[in-house]
Parts: sequence; C-alpha cells; structure tokens
Amino acid sequence: MSVHKDILPPELIKDRGSLHPINHMKDSIMNLLISFGFEIVDGPEIETEEFNFDMLNIKKSHPARQMHDTFYVENKSNLLRTHTSPVQIRGMLEKKPPLAFISGGKVYRKDDDATHLPMFHQVEGIYVDENVSFAQLKDLIYKIIYSLFGGDVKLRFRPSYFPFTEPSAEVDILSKEGKWLEILGCGLVNPIVLENCNIDSNKYSGLAFGLGIERIAMLKHGVTDIREFYKSNLDFLSQFK
Amino acid sequence: MKIAYSHLVRCIKEKPSINNVSDRLFQLGHEHEIENDIFDMEFTPNRGDCLSVNGLLRDLAVFYSVDLSQEIYTEKLDELSIDFENLAESICPNISFLKLEIDQVPDSYKDYLDNYFLDLGLNKINFFTDVSNYLSYETGQPTHCYDASKISSKLVFHEIERDEEFETLLDKKITLVKKNAVFSSNNEVINLAGIVGSKSSSCSTDTKTVIIECAFFQPEAIIGKSLKYDIQSEASHKFERGVDPECHDNVLRRLIKVVSEHANIKDVSIVSFKSKDNPIFRIPVNVQRINQIIGINISESEYLNYLSKLGFDTEGGFVTVPSFRSDVKTNNDLAEEIARVVGYDNVATLDINIPKNKKLNHKDIEKKLRYFLIDHGFYEVINSPFVNLDSDLAIKVDNPLDSNREFIRTNLTNSLVENLLFNERRQKDSIKLFEISDVYSSNNGIHKKRKLSIIASGRVGLNYEEFSKKINKKYLSALFQKISPNEIFDFNVLSRDLLDTKIKNEIISLEVDIDKFSIDILSYVEISKPPVSFVQYNPISDLPCSFKDISYSIKDYSKIQELQDLLLGYKSDIIKNIYIFDYFENEKQEEIKIGFRFTFQSKETTLNSSEIELVYNDIISESLKIIGISIPGI
Repeated sequence: MSVHKDILPPELIKDRGSLHPINHMKDSIMNLLISFGFEIVDGPEIETEEFNFDMLNIKKSHPARQMHDTFYVENKSNLLRTHTSPVQIRGMLEKKPPLAFISGGKVYRKDDDATHLPMFHQVEGIYVDENVSFAQLKDLIYKIIYSLFGGDVKLRFRPSYFPFTEPSAEVDILSKEGKWLEILGCGLVNPIVLENCNIDSNKYSGLAFGLGIERIAMLKHGVTDIREFYKSNLDFLSQFK
Repeated sequence: MKIAYSHLVRCIKEKPSINNVSDRLFQLGHEHEIENDIFDMEFTPNRGDCLSVNGLLRDLAVFYSVDLSQEIYTEKLDELSIDFENLAESICPNISFLKLEIDQVPDSYKDYLDNYFLDLGLNKINFFTDVSNYLSYETGQPTHCYDASKISSKLVFHEIERDEEFETLLDKKITLVKKNAVFSSNNEVINLAGIVGSKSSSCSTDTKTVIIECAFFQPEAIIGKSLKYDIQSEASHKFERGVDPECHDNVLRRLIKVVSEHANIKDVSIVSFKSKDNPIFRIPVNVQRINQIIGINISESEYLNYLSKLGFDTEGGFVTVPSFRSDVKTNNDLAEEIARVVGYDNVATLDINIPKNKKLNHKDIEKKLRYFLIDHGFYEVINSPFVNLDSDLAIKVDNPLDSNREFIRTNLTNSLVENLLFNERRQKDSIKLFEISDVYSSNNGIHKKRKLSIIASGRVGLNYEEFSKKINKKYLSALFQKISPNEIFDFNVLSRDLLDTKIKNEIISLEVDIDKFSIDILSYVEISKPPVSFVQYNPISDLPCSFKDISYSIKDYSKIQELQDLLLGYKSDIIKNIYIFDYFENEKQEEIKIGFRFTFQSKETTLNSSEIELVYNDIISESLKIIGISIPGI
C-alpha cells in the first residue's frame, strides 16, 4: 500500500467566469484599432437629433428618422442613438485634425425579430488628415478584415450609400459556403460632415468605417440566433472562456 | 423593383449576356437577385433615378452603347384649359396635366406593352392605368390618371386642415390626417398626392377621356405615408426617392405616343404649372481632386468621358449635373461616380499610416475590474435597457416596442435578478453574474452614470473546497477587499419573497458607480487570459438535467489518479459535465473519500431514469474494476 504522504490531492479547479462574447469581440476589434493608432472616445447613448442625424447629413426626410425606426425619448426631446457615429461628431468638435478616433458601444433601432434586436453593438472609426483617400481606406479595411478572418479570406467592396460618407462602400467576405456576407460599411467622410464640425474640407479629408459586432461574433463563433447572446444563460456564456 | 433583362438588352447594342449585365450592375452598386431573367433590384435610397428601365440604362451606358431614344409624340400640343389651383407649391413646385380623348378603348396591346405585363407577371387594370404604369416602369416618372368625366369642378392641390376619410382606388378606406398633401375636387379628396388616387375619380375599362397628372413632389412630403397607411405604392416609392423634375414634357409626349399606337386620339392638350426652377448644380472640373479623393490617377479626358457617358454635361470647364441626378452636388459625389465606373475592387490600396501617439485608455480600471470578477467565477452579461417603470426618474420611451418596455432602466440589479432566476430554473446552483453599463435617469435633465452591478447566489464554486460553501455577504466583502481595501461596499441580501422561486439560497447583490474604484485596482494581476482564438459555439440544450453523485472510498492511494483519469475522461453523449465535489483524507483510517458529480442532459430529449441508469451503472462497473477502491453501500 502506498504511503499517503506521497499522494497529491486532486487538482483544485477554480471556476473562472468569462467576458461576454460581444464585449470580448468589441474589445478585440478596438484593441486592434488602437494598435493602428486610433484613440477611444466615448459618448452618451441618449443623444440629440442634432448629433445623431443633422450633423451627419441625415436629412429630416430620411427614413431612419421615422418613429418606426428610431426610439425617441422624453417627448421627442432626445433619442437613443441609432449608431455610434455621433461620438465621432463630438470628437471632431473637440479636437483638430489630424485625428483618429474609435468608439464602440450599444446602439438602438426599433427592430425586434429573429435576426434583429432593438439593442446591438457597433464599433466605428474615423481618421481625418490631409489627403486621406479611398485607396487608403481600402488598405485599412483589408488590415482589419485580415486580422479578424485571416489573410486568405476573399473580400469585395460594393458601392453603397450613407449620408455621412461619400464615396460609400459596403464590404463583404466570401464564406466557406461560397456566399458573400456583408461585414462592414465605410467611406470617405462627406465634406458636409467635416464642415459641420468646423473642419476645412478643402484641406482635410477623412475616412470612416463601422462594424456590427453581433454579426461578426455570430460568424466567428458560429452562433446562428442573435438572441442567444442576451439570454444570460450560463450554459451559453461558459463556452466563451 | 423588378426589371426584365429583355427590356434592358433591347436598348443595348452589344447584347450582353444576363451575367455580364449582372456583373456590371454589381460594379455600379446596384444589388439584385435574378430569377427567370428578371432582375429584382434593390437600389440605395439616393438612386431614385434608377427606378426605371431608362434610369438603369443611363447608368449602364458607361459600359455599353445604349439607345435611349424612345419615340415620342412630336406635334405641337394645344394648351389645356383646366381649373387648377396649387395651394402647396412648396410641396409640388412643378406639375403638368394632359387631357386625352380616344375614340375606342383598345381590346389588345402591342407586343412591347403586352410583354411588360407578361414578363413581370403583372395584372392589367384598364387601358389608361396600364399605359401610365408602363410609362412609370420605362421612364421612372409616375403619372396619375383621372377619368375626366368624374372631375366636374375645380381641382385643388393643398394640405388638408383636418382629418378626412378617403377611399382609395384599391377599395381601402383610410383616415387621412391633417397636413397630408392631397388633390381635391368639389371638396372631396380625389388623390393622396404621390401615393394613391381615389375610387371616385379612377379610370375604368370604359374610360375614353382621361386627365393625366404628372408632378414633382418633394420627397419629404411623401416619405413614410405608404407605410403609415399600409398602401403598397410603386409611385410613392419613386417620389420618396426623388423623381426628375424636368421630365414632364418628354414623359407625357411618350405617353401620347404609346396611346396613339393603340387608339385613335380624338383630342389632346397639355398644360404645365411651374412655381420654381429646379436648381442646376455646376461643379468646376478638377480631376486632381477626384484622383486625390479616390487615390488613383486618371486623365482629365478619361474623367470627362466617363461623366459624359453617365449623362453629365462637361462643357465649359464645369460638370453640369443632369436634373435626374439630385444626389450629386460635390466633387466627392463625382468621385464616387468615377470609383463605381473604375470598380471599387479595381482601386489599388495605398498604404495607410496613422500617427501613433501614446493615447490614454481610460477604460483600464473597468478592464481590470472585469478580469478580477471573471477570475473569481463571475460571468459578464449584457441586458436590454428597456423595462417597465422601475423608478420615478426613469426616462420614458415615446414609441416603445410594447407596454412592458416603455422605460429605460435606472438600475442594473433588476435585470440581474431576472438573469439569476433564469439560470436557477435551469438547475444552476452556483451563479455569479455581473454587468457594467451606463444607466440613465431624468431629473432636471438627463443624467448618465456608469455602474457595476453584481449578483451571486448558491455555491461559492463547484470544486471540492468550495462546493459546500454558500455565497454570502462575508464571502463577497472579503473578495472585494482584495481589490479595494479602503472601500466599504454595501452588499444587499435580496428577499426572495416576491420572486417566483422555491430556492432558498441567499441572493447577494451590489450596484455601485464605477468611479468608486480607484486606480489601486490597476495593480491587480489578472489570472484569466482572453481566449486566444474564437471558440466555436456548441448549441445548448434547454432540456432538464439530472445529477448523479458517486462517492468512493480508496485505501490504495496509488489508485486515485487512475480513478480520476477514468471518471473525468468518461465520454457519453448524455453526460454534460463531471467534477469532483468532495475530497477528504482520513489519516486515522488511512482512507480517502472522493466524490464525483455527473450532470446528465440530452440535446434531443428529456432523459428517462433507465437511460441515465444505463450510463451510471457502466461508470460504476468500470470504476470498480480498479483494485483497491470501493463505493460504500455497494
């Protein structure tokens, strides 16, 4: 029989928790962007129409401003931000170019179904300097996508429309199943937006991009139902250690 | 919008294949799907000019030789005498009326008109409405047809001053609200401008004399109306995105031509009312600027050639924007035109180097706090802020999703209580959760606070040292002392009296401003590391679990490892997890007691006892093959 002194007790496994997969994804993307030279700026989730729409060249007639798309609060005096872009406006009003900001966080749209939630997360970035071009924007987007999905992923740029960028593009990646999946929107900052922030659009130009975190997290983790992220089910959360 | 490939290609000299056209459309940014040689187009909202065959051809003309010269009626037209008053010129600055009388309603259509209905699977309605719909498809300009015999008095365009009942030509009764722009005749609304006409003034299969209205409406006046009144309207879709304010004469002459190809016209006259000239945008030619914006190097002649093909006038050192391109106003807009033509994917990348300064990351404290918590078994959650009223200071949502989500939460704890109960119902007996979020309240203005909230209940942990210890205030206070020794935290024991649960474990919660944590926390060295790769999620089961414990007595200590290896490595489709919950060495009796807990759960079905027993008995029989161990009682 063995001498008991020789015996080590079983390994004491301390239970560790985990970061929420959406916050982890958001942090990963923001850390990547910080490594490129971007600085984090924050802004409120309850915003004014001026910062959420007007300053971003989203006109009164734009469908996004309708009550069926945007949550308004306190007798329409404010709204829940529909994107993280107002933070960029606040940043541009505070600092002079060259500037490179990112902001990440919760945004709200009046959707609630299997593929859309009224609350979701975005990360946005903006870089304003002299002679910033669409070709440089493409370079940045390639770097972001390759970091997220690997250097062998195929991507394409499609012309698109956002009131705050011109030219505007949407970027798709080719899935393993051969389907193009939309990953992010981007473009050169519309000179009207720069002027709204007292930046001389003849001297400076800027690039901007925005990513939906849930969509990327779903792709990376293989989650097919967006609602799983917000059930707070420990069986779900404990998988993301 | 559906556009038939055959309707496009008949105007393209090169006769490209459908796949070639499809590739070019994608390059230009016009997303679509193809079914039965029909392009189901999804245009971006700034490209209302593309919502027609001609509009799309204008864009494709940059790649192909496109013939857009449809035949029009070229004779001089008499001026129509119509009693019309425009009381809302700011909404409709430009409107034309055409009156047409034919001798007989045709009983069949020419091929091109017939094919429009056939190819797109559309139903014919009546002759004039059919021609109007076809013209809208071909030119992008919606027109509205009134049966002239049903318009007996003055026609007025105005905004209504009170709510009015209205029956659409599709037999739908709606109540129009004050300020809606309408056409009225004889004090009755006969057309909700840009959206749908009335039943009382609509054409029928017998209509031989028609008044056709061709208007430009400001998109702001039309937007949202079809959704509001639940009316499917191709016309409103076009007006919302902006139509060409200068196309009326050409469109109406084309309409006369189409009618004349189907019936003898007995009488035709036209009149236009224009209160304001459409602004003309002229942008100085500056190819260097275009090259700088895109990051390419094209010549001026190449630049102007592309624009010219897209319908821009490039004479005299200026780019003059055509009236149908209301979306183009700046060099950035023109750069997008060029980038589309070159192809976004063909623009070579240029190395980007953002100056790297040492930048302050003010989220470091929060990050440390999060890692401290996960190191001690806490899981981070994110909850929706939409709740029922939880405080007098809660901010009210004007347009909530439903009455249970009418306010913005003023605390995080309530959400965490819900999360705790959710997991208790799923048989979790060690629950530690936290959330960090902004919280808003309204008290003489909107106030924001960034908060941490934690909730914990049940076992401290599932390992053999913590399994039998319960979470309480003392445990959590000691934990938080580690990172904030100088701070006293006000942990609460939440009552279960009002909660829908029979579980008795204490619920401990804390909600605190993030500001309460000082930079001292930055010295904490985290144990957990972020995952090196993104794990593939394994779908979870919501079916009930069963637990089975086996306690072993071991005299031959050398067998402990063998037993652990066997049991912790035991594989079964219905075993969710296995852990050691008890370990005790009785030195006097030279005996070790070790307890294993098995959690059984299936992804497909609720397990019955015999399915569980089968695996359970196998575990026992396999483990008892190890000499020197026993299971007391067996």
